[in-house]
Amino acid sequence: MHIPDNYLSPSTCAIFGVVMLPIWRRASVKVKSEITRQKMPLLGVAAAFSFLIMMFNIPLPGGTTGHAIGGALIAILLGPYSAVFAVTIALAIQALFFGDGGILAIGVNCFNMAFIMPFTAFYLFKLMKKIIPSKKGEYLGAFLGGYISVNIAALVTAIEFGVQPLLFKDSSGLPLYSPYGLSVSIPAMTIPHLLVVGILEGIITLGAYSYIKKASPEIIYKGKTNKIKPLYIIIGILILVTPLGLLANGTAWGEWGTEEIKNFIGFVPKGMEDGFNFKALIPDYSLGNVQEYLGYIISALLGVIIILIIFKILSKININRNKKGE
Amino acid sequence: MIPEWLSEKDNYIPKEEKNLYIEKSIFSLIKTISIIRQSKSQDKLVYLLNPTLKMVSTILNIVFISLSRSFIYLSVVGIYVLVNLFLMEKRSRKRILIRSLIFPFITLIALIPSMFNGNVYNSLLLFQKIITTILLMNLLSHNTKWSDISKSLKLLFIPDIFIWIMEITIKYIVLLGEYSINLLYALKLRTIGKTSNKYNSLTGIMGNLFIKSYKMSEEMFHAMECRGFVGEYTTKMNFNFKKIDYIYIIINMLLISLFIYFN
Repeated sequence: MHIPDNYLSPSTCAIFGVVMLPIWRRASVKVKSEITRQKMPLLGVAAAFSFLIMMFNIPLPGGTTGHAIGGALIAILLGPYSAVFAVTIALAIQALFFGDGGILAIGVNCFNMAFIMPFTAFYLFKLMKKIIPSKKGEYLGAFLGGYISVNIAALVTAIEFGVQPLLFKDSSGLPLYSPYGLSVSIPAMTIPHLLVVGILEGIITLGAYSYIKKASPEIIYKGKTNKIKPLYIIIGILILVTPLGLLANGTAWGEWGTEEIKNFIGFVPKGMEDGFNFKALIPDYSLGNVQEYLGYIISALLGVIIILIIFKILSKININRNKKGE
Repeated sequence: MIPEWLSEKDNYIPKEEKNLYIEKSIFSLIKTISIIRQSKSQDKLVYLLNPTLKMVSTILNIVFISLSRSFIYLSVVGIYVLVNLFLMEKRSRKRILIRSLIFPFITLIALIPSMFNGNVYNSLLLFQKIITTILLMNLLSHNTKWSDISKSLKLLFIPDIFIWIMEITIKYIVLLGEYSINLLYALKLRTIGKTSNKYNSLTGIMGNLFIKSYKMSEEMFHAMECRGFVGEYTTKMNFNFKKIDYIYIIINMLLISLFIYFN
């Protein structure tokens, strides 16, 4: 997921660099207030740890090996703000000394792996712990934190790649930087992450977390705040970028209409000809006459609200069950 | 006395094991550590240049490469990078070349479909830019002391505390890396044949590594406090220019003026 230089336009890199500044600033303030002077060297050592995690090769089906990023693990172990620091430094060392990931793209890489990933993982972990307040919830949270956070980071990376040909063209309309649009970059990035990389990240987060939990539970980050506000901020960012789908020409992978299938494979399977159209509540994610962009955002909002309600109900059920158990 | 069952010969043939991933992990750790450890105190030309100057000019070159759309400018920079490469020591030259070529070629393959759609010039330009940038970065990391590079980061308004943490990180990558190599060797020696818990052991090693690093950082703080550390860390940059540094500045000024001329 390390984006090298020149894949993205210099202006994109600059924008993400500027976006990261307040995040780094807030992280350093938070870390200073949370961490005693005694633990300052821990940040450096944790960065070394996060660097080394990427060196461990894990066997994958098919005889190959892969490695995890470890952003989720560090966020759960040290808290999200320390993770921002540790992963940023690990990324800076990789870019400066090992040539992995670009120098100009460091803002983008940090946004994906040192901000989006640890924050999603940490607050998902918190959320799962709240919903299922047993050990199982913790372990499930660790796995899901790893799995989902790496997928969201991959999705964000894909969007960054995918908007390049739409925004930056030369005089004859040819793309200047990464040439593939959203319809290519999103499946290319998300499918391997959904199927393999995410599971790997989840297993490693879970395995290492459960080991540390057993061996020395006192060093795991507890955190004074119980709020999950930042998760809402990340969800908010994702909602706002949903209209990006409009920029793409194609339909989401696997969500083709009958006409598109005809274009792809030359004919429409008989069963699909009339049985394929079902009436969705919000057809094509847009609400009638509302402007298309707004429609997308509203649909995304509705989706998130529905999911949140389901989670709230689930947690209610769980709390009741726990009360009965007492 | 040895019991009888111990002296009996056993015909145990373990199932063929797949240890590749442990070996791969050990190998990548050793590679990283050896890169950090290699000596950079040669008396060849490029090693003697002022590190701050090298760092600044490399970053400036990278910025201009990414802004440029001119094939001629990029080729001139490419030649400049290759000349630099030939001034390097033989072993690191080979290593830099291998490290820098793999990724751009993967990119080139990925760009082939786009080239069939008529996007040939831009794709080749992209390939050229990526290869030059990666070479520049690898050259810098192979011919300059890392502590000098991280000190020069101060010029980019990066706070001292960040530089300090980064220096700790580099040192601890070596220490923790060696520790994990030992753990991996132990795992390799102690498992024979196919076992289901080997996979678990790997995540266990990571967990153990974290606990170890936690303890190490505590020890380090105490060691620092004993030596009078109060939490302030300042870095100083080296601005002593020699004759050769001025020549280097002139070459880089020429490159920048070329960029302005061609764009």
